[in-house]
Amino acid sequence: MELKISLLTKDFQDTKAVNRVSCTMGNGVYGLLGINGAGKTTLMRMLCTLVRPSSGTITWDGKDIFEMGGEYRKLLGYLPQDFGYYPDFTVYDYLLYIASIKGIRPAAAKKRAETLLKQVGLSGVKNKKMKKLSGGMKRRAGIVQAMLNDPKILILDEPTAGLDPNERIRFRNLISELSQDRLVLLSTHIVSDVEYIANEILLMKEGSITLADTPENIISSMPERAWSLLVPRAEMGHYLKNYKVSNVKTVPQGVRMRILSEKRPNADAILEEAALEDVFLYYFGEKEGAGDDEI
Amino acid sequence: MMKYEIKKVFSRTGSKFAILLLLVVLGITCWLAAGVTYVNNSGVTETGFSAVRQLRSVKKEWAGLLDEEKIRAVIEENGRIASTPEAQSNDYRQNDIAYSWKQGFSDIRDLLNYAYADGFREYNYYKADSLTTDDAKNFYQNRIVLLQSWLDEEAKDQFSDAEKSYLLNRYEALDTPFIYDYSEGWHRLFQYSPTIIMITMLILGYLVAGVFSGEFQWKSDAVFFTSFYGRNKAVTAKIKAGFYIVTAVYWVTVFLYSCIVFLYLGIDGAGCPIQADMAGWKSFYNITLWQEYLLIVAGGYLGCLFMAFLTMLVSAKTRSTVIAVIVPFALIFLPSFIGGMEGPVISKVLGVLPDRLLQVSNALSYFELYRFGGKIVGAVPVLLIMYGILAIILLPMIYYEYSRKQIS
Repeated sequence: MELKISLLTKDFQDTKAVNRVSCTMGNGVYGLLGINGAGKTTLMRMLCTLVRPSSGTITWDGKDIFEMGGEYRKLLGYLPQDFGYYPDFTVYDYLLYIASIKGIRPAAAKKRAETLLKQVGLSGVKNKKMKKLSGGMKRRAGIVQAMLNDPKILILDEPTAGLDPNERIRFRNLISELSQDRLVLLSTHIVSDVEYIANEILLMKEGSITLADTPENIISSMPERAWSLLVPRAEMGHYLKNYKVSNVKTVPQGVRMRILSEKRPNADAILEEAALEDVFLYYFGEKEGAGDDEI
Repeated sequence: MMKYEIKKVFSRTGSKFAILLLLVVLGITCWLAAGVTYVNNSGVTETGFSAVRQLRSVKKEWAGLLDEEKIRAVIEENGRIASTPEAQSNDYRQNDIAYSWKQGFSDIRDLLNYAYADGFREYNYYKADSLTTDDAKNFYQNRIVLLQSWLDEEAKDQFSDAEKSYLLNRYEALDTPFIYDYSEGWHRLFQYSPTIIMITMLILGYLVAGVFSGEFQWKSDAVFFTSFYGRNKAVTAKIKAGFYIVTAVYWVTVFLYSCIVFLYLGIDGAGCPIQADMAGWKSFYNITLWQEYLLIVAGGYLGCLFMAFLTMLVSAKTRSTVIAVIVPFALIFLPSFIGGMEGPVISKVLGVLPDRLLQVSNALSYFELYRFGGKIVGAVPVLLIMYGILAIILLPMIYYEYSRKQIS
């Protein structure tokens, strides 16, 4: 089982939303990490056959996914970033409808919906209208619909967007739970969403995959190291101007900073273990979560 | 799948409101259609079911073959009443008393006004009062004579010779003398049928406008199109849902409307030709009232199907419910905009616009003719066949359009 992307490009008028992306994915969790506007959503939409590429191919076990049509979509579970639903449907009706368009027989659909609702903790609200659910509950209903057909490929576009920290942790654990024996591709601009659950991270910038590897390898590939230092408040500007600063914390003695640098920034700086968040800062040159609108 | 598509439509508050509005309009239309009045011997106007009963009773006295003898009897009785002091009085209350005596044959009296008019397009309410019993023999012949002279003079450039000959043949082909009967139920039903069918069509347009665009509006398009059936069976289910909604809502409305009007006013006169009433006197379609009913409801159904499918196509193409909703309104009101223009081509175009399907009762009285391979036909069969075919053609177009949608 292999999803192979070869030289995939998508042009929108003058913009290259996705530019010659190539990679191969098998079973496991893949974290597609990039700032807003990096092209993650466009890439995912092509993987879901929603948008045709301008050039390049996507194959599943050697077959073009656009030619496979329904055969490919049968293997697919997708939770879009802008997850839409039918506001006046109950959660249960919504799931049974999605099951019907996924080609699942009613009896099997009911059983599957019940199991998944229980798994995500929504059994108690299955007869509530979708519009009455909280943001987190809607997202969980979203993951249930994506999982209804027990997909071999699960694509989740910014699944934690707009969730509070508790819901985010819950969702992350849920994804981890559901990731067995399937390919899960999860896009986010929040590093912590994928840091601990992804087997492989794909760093996407300006339409291209700039780096693809395990979190450990990606961290070790970073030429700069992470330093922690305490500086007088008056010197903070100097460090902000001359270094990539991943964190600033005001303390009574001055300012504690976390800096990325090949060389020790000052004599008192303490070498820290680099994290994925530092890699994000290194490659994208800005802090996670900042950026432009989605492409 | 289809069950949920229908549920999606009716779960919207706007749809519930639209159905409620349809029921209100249906109620009002039935009330208007049933608004029969009867003037009693004291000249007082009565309404309600007793008025219907009495009107039916007096009209039934004149029911039967409308032959020369009966025409003579009507002319005689009308003349007798017209010469009474009540009829000649300047007091309208006295006139009402005189009218009450004429009610039984008022339909036939209207036919006399047309049959003996000074011209094909003339109508004089008092013409019947000036007739003598000797005129009775020309009743049916006059219908043809008036048409002939109109075609020769006023409408000489409006029709080709073949068309003129066709119209005359249709007039001559009418079986005479024909049967007259009390048929208030049919006429009142026909009179308000364009209103109820048009409102039903607009509401159906509103209901189905979101069938396709709704997915984009709710942002559920991505999940829909990535599902196994998202680009085939699920699209078919949407089309089927639209078809079933149109079929169910239309036929339930027509059934309720027909039942209420017929139960109240009766179905007497079903076998009478449409020419036995002033509304159909000039029609060249030689059909009976129940056949006209079938044409009206079939035309309305085809019109609703065509408009609904067109709305669904626009909904699928534009992804906009608002634009889709405008389609039926535009098609209904388009003739009002181009109606001011004159000319044989415009007239022919107007004759086959879809709004005509919603008002077949009116189309039956229009002289709109079309020629196909040397054969001349009226607008009504053209409308039924053409829009039946167009409605079917729209189906693969909707499917093709929606199943290939991309989410940008």
